[in-house]
Amino acid sequence: MALLSNAAVLLGKEVRTEFRSRELLSTTVVFVLIVVVVFSFTFDPTTTESRRFGPGLLWMAFLFAASLMLQPCFLREQVNDTLGALRLAVEDPFAVFLAKIAANTVFLLFTELVMLPVFAALFNVSFGSQLPGVLLTFLLGSLGISIVGTALAAISAQARMRELLLPLLLLPLLTPILVVSTEVTIRLMQPEPYLEWKGIGLMAAFDAVFLTVLWLFGEYLLEE
Amino acid sequence: MRNLNSIFAAYMIGWGVFFLFFASVVKRTSDLRSEIERLKKNLSKDK
Amino acid sequence: MIRRILFAAVAVGLVACAAYAAFYVAPEERTMGAIQRIFYLHASSAWAGETTFFFCFVANLLYIWRRKPQYDWLGVTCAEVGVAFITVVLLTGPIWAKPVWGIWWTWDARLTSTFVLWILYICYLLLRTLLDEPERRALLSALFGVFAFIDVPIVFGAIRWWRTQHPAPVIMGGEGSGLDPVMRKVFFFNVLAMHILALFLIAERYLLEKSKHDAELLRREAEAR
Repeated sequence: MALLSNAAVLLGKEVRTEFRSRELLSTTVVFVLIVVVVFSFTFDPTTTESRRFGPGLLWMAFLFAASLMLQPCFLREQVNDTLGALRLAVEDPFAVFLAKIAANTVFLLFTELVMLPVFAALFNVSFGSQLPGVLLTFLLGSLGISIVGTALAAISAQARMRELLLPLLLLPLLTPILVVSTEVTIRLMQPEPYLEWKGIGLMAAFDAVFLTVLWLFGEYLLEE
Repeated sequence: MRNLNSIFAAYMIGWGVFFLFFASVVKRTSDLRSEIERLKKNLSKDK
Repeated sequence: MIRRILFAAVAVGLVACAAYAAFYVAPEERTMGAIQRIFYLHASSAWAGETTFFFCFVANLLYIWRRKPQYDWLGVTCAEVGVAFITVVLLTGPIWAKPVWGIWWTWDARLTSTFVLWILYICYLLLRTLLDEPERRALLSALFGVFAFIDVPIVFGAIRWWRTQHPAPVIMGGEGSGLDPVMRKVFFFNVLAMHILALFLIAERYLLEKSKHDAELLRREAEAR
């Protein structure tokens, strides 16, 4: 299908661009680490407290990191008007979004997977048996953040105060992801862990709904 | 009536918000009207 | 002009009658007493606010589809009026809650979702102030408006599921749950009055937006000379 193959080519471009400099990934990882450390000063990090607050803090760190990481997504395309070139290169503008969403999801997942062992060590939580569940949660959560974040990055790139605007618009919209992913992660890290399938379902539904909305309206975001 | 103060406060605050909103709309409208008059006068002067 | 004054009189009159009904026609509630009467203002404002946001959503969709500036004017108008109504909801709720349940706020599903709804439309209005070019502003805020409106039921569902995981005091029962028939009639009369008030405020605010557009046209003409 032309849409998917175009998106795949563009995804390759996004990933290659990032791996050339790796500056986005490295700064994002360090930022998440800093947020986790700074937040842990706000409560008593004994094991029971960590289990209660840890997952929420982890997801908040991911959300803050994402809202910064997503900024260059469309700002990069304003230099030399490469966005115009992208629009001409593909038949369906949704391919541009699919590629950027996939790239952002990959970058976010990379950050989360790097942070996971650090988080486990700092807060003395183990999740070994629950790794598939944790990965699924991270994947669906990152996908949700990327879908909405990429769309909003396209909007904020055209506005003033864009550095502040993107987090401002993104965080309220992502309330469902934050709430549900925290709950699911808490269940995965408690003494008797299990995967909360209702939460997984809610996250998948969120991702599906917003991907559909973006498919319906995305081309208008890329208009001149 | 028990809690009369609270009911009174709630209704006053509620209506207050609506009234303040309406007042701000009226003020902005009248400011714009004067500016529109001013612009029309300048334009007809230039003619 | 006469029409506007008449509309204003009807709206204010209805709201006054609705308040009278809330105080003197509706029976006293058994457990909470008189303070329950705040419910008539609080819940009817919530319904009217939600209807207004629905109009905003429709206006946003119509703008994206048709690109007529009138739809953009309607969108921003309904967003502002909706924010006003939800502000009333968020202010009257705690005033009711404090004497009855001893707490100003609780993070239950309905309150939290209402708060997020309010914040989303504040963001919509903020976004508009940061976009200068009128057509860009109209299109991008319409797109954000669509995202925001579609998010609201998901927010409600997610938070409701979240709260089932952490049981908390359920306050403010359900609006229609076991309402006395007279109370129900008074409630729906209040809902009607609030909707008429909303329509009046929308009409006035829409005129303001149209005037803004006229002023902008004149300004451009003046600059061209």
